[in-house]
Amino acid sequence: MSLLIENLHATLEDGTPILNGVNLEIPAGEVHAIMGPNGSGKSTLSKVISGHESYVVTAGSVTLDGVDLLEMDIDQRSRAGVFLAFQYPAEVPGVSNANFIRAALQARLPKGQDIDAVAYYKNLYSKMDLLEMDRKFTARSVNEGFSGGEKKRNEILQLMMLEPKYSILDETDSGLDIDALKIVAKGVNAMRSPDRGFLLITHYQRLLDYIAPDYVHVMAGGQIVRSGGPELALELEQNGYDFLKELAPA
Amino acid sequence: MFPQWFATAQADAWASFQSLPAPRRGDEAWRFSTISALDFSSFTRAEFRGEASEWIARSTGVADAAATLVFVNDTLVHSQSRLPDGVICLPLAEALIQQPDLVQQYFMRHPTTLGSAKFSALHAAHVSNGVFLYVPAGVVVQDPVQIFHWADGDSSTILPHTLLVTGEGASVRVIETFQSTDDRAATLTIAVNDLIAEKNSTLDYVVVQALNQNSKIISINASDVAKAATSTSFLLSTGAAWARSESISRLTGEEARSYMLAVSVPSHDQEYDQRTFQHHISPGAYSDLLYKNSLYDESRTIFSGLIFVDEGAHRTDAYQTCRNLLMSNTCEANSMPGLEINADDVKCSHGSTSAQISDEEIFYLRARGIDSDTARQLIARGFSIEVISRLNHDATEAYVLNFLDQKFATLRMRDVR
Amino acid sequence: MSLDLLPETLDQETAEAVNIDRSIGDFTFPERNKFDAGRGLTEKTVDYICDVKNDPQWVREFRHRALKVFRDKPMPTNWATEDLNNINFDEIRYYLSDGEKPKRSWDDVPADVLETFERLGIPQQERAFLAGVEAQFDSEAAYSNVKEELTKQGVIFVNSTEGLKEHEEIFRPWFGKVIPTGDNKFSALNSAVFSGGSFIYIPKGVKLKQPLQAYFRINSESFGQFERTLIIADEGAEVMYMEGCTAPKFETATLHSAVVELVALKGAKIQYVTVQNWSSNVFNLVTKRGLAMEDAEVRWIDCNIGSRLTMKYPGVVMKGRRARGEVISIALANTGQHQDTGAKMIHAADETTSNVVSKSISVGTGRSTYRGQVHIPKHLKGCKNNTECDALLINAKSRTDTYPAITVKGNQHATQHEASVSQVSQEMLFYMMQRGISEGAAMSLAVNGFINDLVREFPMEYSVELKRLIDLEMEGSVG
Repeated sequence: MSLLIENLHATLEDGTPILNGVNLEIPAGEVHAIMGPNGSGKSTLSKVISGHESYVVTAGSVTLDGVDLLEMDIDQRSRAGVFLAFQYPAEVPGVSNANFIRAALQARLPKGQDIDAVAYYKNLYSKMDLLEMDRKFTARSVNEGFSGGEKKRNEILQLMMLEPKYSILDETDSGLDIDALKIVAKGVNAMRSPDRGFLLITHYQRLLDYIAPDYVHVMAGGQIVRSGGPELALELEQNGYDFLKELAPA
Repeated sequence: MFPQWFATAQADAWASFQSLPAPRRGDEAWRFSTISALDFSSFTRAEFRGEASEWIARSTGVADAAATLVFVNDTLVHSQSRLPDGVICLPLAEALIQQPDLVQQYFMRHPTTLGSAKFSALHAAHVSNGVFLYVPAGVVVQDPVQIFHWADGDSSTILPHTLLVTGEGASVRVIETFQSTDDRAATLTIAVNDLIAEKNSTLDYVVVQALNQNSKIISINASDVAKAATSTSFLLSTGAAWARSESISRLTGEEARSYMLAVSVPSHDQEYDQRTFQHHISPGAYSDLLYKNSLYDESRTIFSGLIFVDEGAHRTDAYQTCRNLLMSNTCEANSMPGLEINADDVKCSHGSTSAQISDEEIFYLRARGIDSDTARQLIARGFSIEVISRLNHDATEAYVLNFLDQKFATLRMRDVR
Repeated sequence: MSLDLLPETLDQETAEAVNIDRSIGDFTFPERNKFDAGRGLTEKTVDYICDVKNDPQWVREFRHRALKVFRDKPMPTNWATEDLNNINFDEIRYYLSDGEKPKRSWDDVPADVLETFERLGIPQQERAFLAGVEAQFDSEAAYSNVKEELTKQGVIFVNSTEGLKEHEEIFRPWFGKVIPTGDNKFSALNSAVFSGGSFIYIPKGVKLKQPLQAYFRINSESFGQFERTLIIADEGAEVMYMEGCTAPKFETATLHSAVVELVALKGAKIQYVTVQNWSSNVFNLVTKRGLAMEDAEVRWIDCNIGSRLTMKYPGVVMKGRRARGEVISIALANTGQHQDTGAKMIHAADETTSNVVSKSISVGTGRSTYRGQVHIPKHLKGCKNNTECDALLINAKSRTDTYPAITVKGNQHATQHEASVSQVSQEMLFYMMQRGISEGAAMSLAVNGFINDLVREFPMEYSVELKRLIDLEMEGSVG
């Protein structure tokens, strides 16, 4: 059981290569972190896995528990169990958070089956309490007028509500103060379980202080160039990415 | 001898003028206009034969102009130039003889569509002079080219034609000023100005209309903006009894940019009738229109603007704003900001406001010791300057501002309060 | 499955009771008209209508004068769409009825007519939440009833024919005063051949808690429906009136041309709610205007989803100090449709305020147009207008236009007009789909979100239905 990325190559629509053969396996139950400098392809990897139409996969595969993800539409991938916590979540004016999450849950039910509204709100409120979110939040439009921290918390709330098998958190720590970061980490840690895998994309060691990874990978030039244990993150924090200059493929 | 094509064009134009109907009440293109202002029967063509030295002396524009041309009643009375080699800058009458093919390539090649087709035909039928400026590919003219038109003598008509072309990667700024030789003589000006900005070129066209308050003017302006070219068309109106301006931008290439700017300060019973059209023909082009009117006394303004996005002109970015500052309790502002969108993935918006200066603004300035009249004028001036500062050229801005301040000087203490 | 989740407060039964989707309206019964004015419009047609309706002489004269005005006025194609030229006035049938008087009880309504309105859910709605109902079938009302306690308070709710005969003293002074015959070609047409529609009078101080509803049904092919509505709210009175409409989809075009006049006397409030869902071959050319006296308020809450061409610009003439006018408008234009809607705000007294919020959605090759007029004349003080119009384009061939005209005289006023055009962005769709929501459902959510703040202005019973109708229209708009 794993999210398996093999030899993944992807380009922009105009042919500019971004991913140049990514190999990565995230088994259920593990937390992996990808670090790397700006432009290394970290965020692109998360979007390609989710099926963003700005990228063209030119080679390689992505499978979820043995099922080919790349053949699926964006929403099918989500329902198959991939969740992306966005670095910049989109605003959806006029659609309340409660209705939005409910629509996403409803989309996972067989035709003709409806969500139990009472149970839904009970569940929603308990997750919101854990994330220290105000009840008024349910009536606000999705991400509209949210502060950076509120947006990130909302991403984690959706993660907790949709209970995906594999979650990718794209720079969830950026723009968060330390208190908000702790709350977000609390949410993610609450979701950790033997049948769920996580991929954290981050610039900084800071997030990893609160969500301890099992493995750390370094991405550069659209490839994973180094992998190691949690100690690799500390090493990067101290020494920076200078070593990449020698490692980077020509 | 003018070339044959021109003679034919003039004959055809005359036939069109005679066959085209005069604007009538109920014509959409003339909605809210005072149709009776269009009675031009008393006006005639009048050549200037007098002494021009005074008008030449008064044609002081910016320092360091690259070229200066002065016309009185369409007669060239003065010119000087230090334009770079290859730039053609000629009175139209000469250009027609020296560069007939080049002029033909650009001369009035699009029909007039915003209502004044009949008057555009009249212009074409009788046009005898103006300026033809051609900046060849790659040539950047640093300093402005300035053109002065003086309208002289009661009932005289002038038909100035301005044809500006920038070749690929070229750049030029032109300042054109319309004035009267005295403050009484009622004159009629029917001006046509066409701007053609080829690929990657920059063409700035700044017009000051400061005719006397008995005159009338129709100006028909069109810009063709090609791929990655930028055109700016600016109009300051302070004069004339009645002024109709029609301005079109045709964006024909990706990343073409067109700025359409205007500042008007009508007073007394002046009527300014402004019609604009932002025509997005190519996908991925940008246009931005900002018209600001400060209305005094019994003056009227009509703003009718349309952003028109052709089918297939996706990724269009177009904005249109008209703001009216109501400075008297007898002025009248009419706004018709329109959109017609036939493409997808466009960003378009328009806005129009009409309001007086708020009491809070006045209070704030008075609290700093400024008297109420001065405060109102300062705010109105600031309101206009926001547009003028978009010209991004200090000398040009100073030149325009001078005319604005002359107008404000005549309005001093006139506000009804 | 409708993605738009019902508000918790509304039970499923009520939601179903207000079901008026177009597919449900697409049926017809055989005609059994006792009175048929035939095709085409002449003096004889007008006389026929007068004779059948037994009109008083002043109405007969009014109609004949109007016919002349209609003939003299050109089609407004100098500013409006050329599609108007496709109306064949000689082929239209101007009056059809079975000769029955409107019934006060559904039990007395002929079986086929009853079944029509049963299928449209009208009697159920009446039981659920309405204070009174009028149901019009082609030219005449088949049913008209108002709750007894309202009758006791002096509320009048009858069809226009009954109104002009039985209540001439209230009806006549206002009839044709808010919208003169010659206002436009179609108001003249209506004035010549009007039949049906409501006459409502709410006495001083009476505030109706539940809405009155009218339902307009076209059953016959090539028919022209010309109802005429006059609502008078006396000083301090309040009323909400809702109208719905359907027609089966015939092969030939059908014409609906109503005139609606509202009079809100001092301190009165009239809210007029329309959910227009005509089938897509109906020309819907309607003139609607309200008069608001001192401290009075007229609100038009208007939703246009159906018809081939709708031209409708509800207006408010604010004639008394501090009067308020408002137009809330939602339009959805799908392929083959042109929703040409807008608002007219005429300020005619000091300190009057008007507000226009219009949102349109163009789907497929649909075209939506906003036309606005705001007029603030000289010598007034403290008038305000705010206009916002936003357009959402769904597909590459969708079209939208905006043509406002704002005239302000004097410096004691403030007007503000803003308009924007936007799309459902790719990033927004990606975000929603990443949560497992299908593309079509995501589009529906985004569209419903776009109009959400306006849908709230509709009564709950209508807003649920409205969202559902929009979901239906959005089906198949993507992919």
